Amino acid sequence: MLLLSCVLQGAEAGGFILIQDTVKCTGRGLLKCFINAALKRGEDVHVLGFESPETEVCAGLDRSCVQKLHFHKGFPDPLGWTRRSSFTVERFASQHITQLIKDTQQAKASVLVVDSLSLVLRHHDPLVFCQTLQELRKGGVIKTIIGLLHSDLHQQGIVGIVCYLASTVISVAPANNERHSVAKTTRRTKSGKVMQEEEYFSVCKDATLSVQAKPRQPGHVQKERDVSEADPTSNLTFNLRLSEEERKAKEKVALPFVFSQEKKSALLKPTPGSGRIVYEPDDNDDFDEEDPDDDLDV
Amino acid sequence: MFPELNSILNSTPDSFKSSDFILVSDRRADASFLIHHHLSFYLRAGCKVCFLGLVQSFSHYSAVGQRLGVSLAQAREKGQLVFLEGLKNSIGVILQEDTSQETQPLSYLRTPGAGLEGLFRFVERSVRQSGDGDAGESWGPPVLLIDDLSVLLSLGVSVGAILDFTLYCQATVCSELQGNMVILVRCEEEDADDDEEGSNLLRRGLVHQCNLALHVEGLPTGYCRDIHGQMEVWWRQGEETIYNQRKIFHFKVHDKGASFFARGTSSAVL
Repeated sequence: MLLLSCVLQGAEAGGFILIQDTVKCTGRGLLKCFINAALKRGEDVHVLGFESPETEVCAGLDRSCVQKLHFHKGFPDPLGWTRRSSFTVERFASQHITQLIKDTQQAKASVLVVDSLSLVLRHHDPLVFCQTLQELRKGGVIKTIIGLLHSDLHQQGIVGIVCYLASTVISVAPANNERHSVAKTTRRTKSGKVMQEEEYFSVCKDATLSVQAKPRQPGHVQKERDVSEADPTSNLTFNLRLSEEERKAKEKVALPFVFSQEKKSALLKPTPGSGRIVYEPDDNDDFDEEDPDDDLDV
Repeated sequence: MFPELNSILNSTPDSFKSSDFILVSDRRADASFLIHHHLSFYLRAGCKVCFLGLVQSFSHYSAVGQRLGVSLAQAREKGQLVFLEGLKNSIGVILQEDTSQETQPLSYLRTPGAGLEGLFRFVERSVRQSGDGDAGESWGPPVLLIDDLSVLLSLGVSVGAILDFTLYCQATVCSELQGNMVILVRCEEEDADDDEEGSNLLRRGLVHQCNLALHVEGLPTGYCRDIHGQMEVWWRQGEETIYNQRKIFHFKVHDKGASFFARGTSSAVL
């Protein structure tokens, strides 16, 4: 099964799933698929929405399970300027979040979705943020945390820290093909095994994910258009092609400098009446009976 | 208002997409002609316009507006245009004795670290005012125009504070009031150490938030008399199109407008 689908179905329960995106490709669609998948599994989903309105986040989600979704309004007032929000960014701390979830329902392990972690990092010290995440994971009230991070808005070190905390990191990027995007998934299981895959995915209108494997050779998928090879012997005013007889005759021609068996026997056939060589060595001559050309492979 | 740009963006003063956040940016070029276009466009469309003019005087925009066929003075008198004259008012803010006015629009000049809540309050007040024009006419959906946002960086405001401000503006103007927002950001050359706070980081943050990004640059091949530069149009997420679409056009700015054409089709070439 494709790794991204595996992660989506929650095959390994719990953990911190990080979705990283850049300006080139947004990860919010993928986030929506994760929310939908969790709702379909019957889990309680708490969304801390700081960057997007509720209507946008909930659009396309499965209507039958929507009552299990609790959207905590950060947007449109994530910083409390207009006093219209139920959860501001500064309240992103383990005790507040735990209380928020306990207030909403009986303490059952639920899924926490943060949109987005970039806004939280803008207003919290990175160390405190990491501590909060760890406390939430170990707290017991939250089973899974799913966060969206805009990796091109932070220093590389900060992005690295958040990736290190995550059990699964999914980086989205555009593919050459406009219909799909590429997801690079890295998953660390509890046993320590690391799995990494690059797959194509696209988000459908009903917040479901369609995943395809990326072929190993990039050349096959790179060119969507047909690259037909041009035939150089066509459209000429002279003939460059061969007929069947011509092709056979061509293959039969013995090349001049290739020494084949026929040529050797033709050259070395003794003909009657050819000259004989009579050699009588002098006293000074060093006559060697061996044929110096014996080792030639002719 | 530039008719060719209208057809590229598929919008006219009579019918345009609402709840749109349009980001205009440039790098070593001047994209302010696009601000003039949008100003005249939305005034013609009858929208209530809140213009934060932080880098030029009112008379400058007025003069250009005359050439494009709109009268800013008249619009301001009628109450259609609310203009924050950043340059003129800044001296007063810096020199004033009492520091108690925290929520003044230009309070960031005195305390850049405190953020832009004051500026947001000004914007909110301006766009929420109901139309109380001469004949009691009510204006169309509100529009926020900012020229330009990157000057705040040089005044000491952090990128995070500016992104918070634009998020709030988008929440109020676009999401709640179904209006539009057009913001100009000017970028410097891309540096190797792009992690640092700077205009490029600000631009990336705004591109994440926006629906349409227009980026103006000079031609990569150098100076040309007949083509003043290239403009990249990047349609970002919308309801219909989840997938990004980017196109590049060449443009030439005239006295009374600007013409846009596909690459390689400049009248100088054809």
